[in-house]
Amino acid sequence: MTRSVYVLGAGAHPWGKWPDKPQLQLAHEAMNLALADASLAWPEIQGLVAASSRFEGGMGWGLHANEVVQSVAEQGIPCINVGGACAAGAVAFQTAYALIASGQHDVVAVLGAERMPKGFIPRPPGSPDDISDSDYLRWVAMGATNPAYWAIEANRRKFDFGTSDETLARAAVMMRKNASGNRLARFRAATSIEEVLASPMVADPLHLLEICPVSDGAAAVILGTEEYTRKTGRKPVEVAGCAIATGEFGDPARRIPTVSTNVLPNVSHTSEVVNAVNSACEMAGIGPEDVDVLEMADNTVWHLLSWPELFGFYEPGQGDWMLDNGKLEIGGQISVNPSGGFLSFGEATTAQAVLQICELTWQLRGEAEGHQVPDATIGMSAVLGLGANGGSVILKT
Amino acid sequence: MMAQQHASTPIVEGLFEIVAGTPKLIGSQCHACNTIYFPQALSCRNPKCRDKSVEQTFLPHGGTLYSYTVQRYQPPPLFRMDHWSPYALGLVDLGDGLQVMGMLTGIKLDEIAIGMTLKLVVEPLYSDAEIGEKLTYKFAPAERAGAA
Repeated sequence: MTRSVYVLGAGAHPWGKWPDKPQLQLAHEAMNLALADASLAWPEIQGLVAASSRFEGGMGWGLHANEVVQSVAEQGIPCINVGGACAAGAVAFQTAYALIASGQHDVVAVLGAERMPKGFIPRPPGSPDDISDSDYLRWVAMGATNPAYWAIEANRRKFDFGTSDETLARAAVMMRKNASGNRLARFRAATSIEEVLASPMVADPLHLLEICPVSDGAAAVILGTEEYTRKTGRKPVEVAGCAIATGEFGDPARRIPTVSTNVLPNVSHTSEVVNAVNSACEMAGIGPEDVDVLEMADNTVWHLLSWPELFGFYEPGQGDWMLDNGKLEIGGQISVNPSGGFLSFGEATTAQAVLQICELTWQLRGEAEGHQVPDATIGMSAVLGLGANGGSVILKT
Repeated sequence: MMAQQHASTPIVEGLFEIVAGTPKLIGSQCHACNTIYFPQALSCRNPKCRDKSVEQTFLPHGGTLYSYTVQRYQPPPLFRMDHWSPYALGLVDLGDGLQVMGMLTGIKLDEIAIGMTLKLVVEPLYSDAEIGEKLTYKFAPAERAGAA
């Protein structure tokens, strides 16, 4: 049997740096907001799926769901902790969805809570210092930072499509403009093309304000059956499609932390995300043209220009024109990251994909105060994580 | 008495070799589909291959620049380099779909151009009194004399 699944509640702690709040407290606050939004309390929760982090909490083993349950609701429910790096939130969502769609449980919570270390994300302990570990190799042999990978993509886009530095900067300006109306975003001050281009160059052609920093944050959603969504008395938000995928052989993307790529013709760039998006669309019975709002992982401005093209929203290279002509702004042809995106939030890695679902839920309910997309009825998320993890969720009202 | 001479060694064992004065990157090639992987791999990754066995091979030593960047910030401490200053990282197309990342050398940062022809060289990255000189591979303009 397969049952319809609904988002009953969504909650998120504002993104930022919260030195006085442990990860566990961020998790509690996000869960409490999501429970209140669903008019539920812990006794009704039948399972918890957490995006497991390697940075803080989880008893050192990524047991974030267990940690939360042990601190607030020792009620014997299944706890599932999923890895997926920056896509872990999407993997957690997919898992919770399956628990309900299968008929096994009626109400399941999804959680991502993260406190990030400062600066470049460090290599994890315990990895081998030899040729079998790409993450070792890329550091010692050439010092390739994550922005360097994205910059190599951006420079190639400039070569292929003539994308200008001003257009790249305009994507950052748009994210700040969207974030100015979102109280959860960390960077809400308006910026300008001049200010973006005057910020320090990190890796040509990408400037500091064109690359997402890291943040602390937490987000939770409660999923449930049709019967439960009826009880909330709210406008139902249904999971129309959701999928996770991994990368395909021959994908030309410069995949962090590898130092080589085997490129084959006719394989999608960033195939893990493109294939997840395609599967989610197929499940929902829709195409990109039906999507009103897209919340996607904008690690850099290059992602904002390229990803919608990869998903088939429009032709490769057309992203520049779409952006320059305001077609991607709130209320445009397709509203891209009305939340302000990773560029305005900073990335709280494992929590990020759960936040995307919260944002889509509020957009579809008409509750995205200060940054509402008019008449949004279909929303899509798209996220990428280390290890070639891709995820996409489509919600509809 | 001469000061003790340390040998120059690759930054990571198994990454490259210098054969008769010419540096060569070491990869693995699939017996079945001929795909070449870099660095050396345990297995072929092609989903169409049923026999996944690979054997060691050398990569082509030249190619064309597919794209590049200039790193303006010093990478975290795992990376070590004498006399640090911003440097270029390139993605070099070696043919048959194989693209390899590496540092660029022997060219001014503002003269790098996508499509230029490059050749493999080996250069010191840093010297250490304890362990001697560490070498890494880089790509240099093809007309430049080899630095190896």
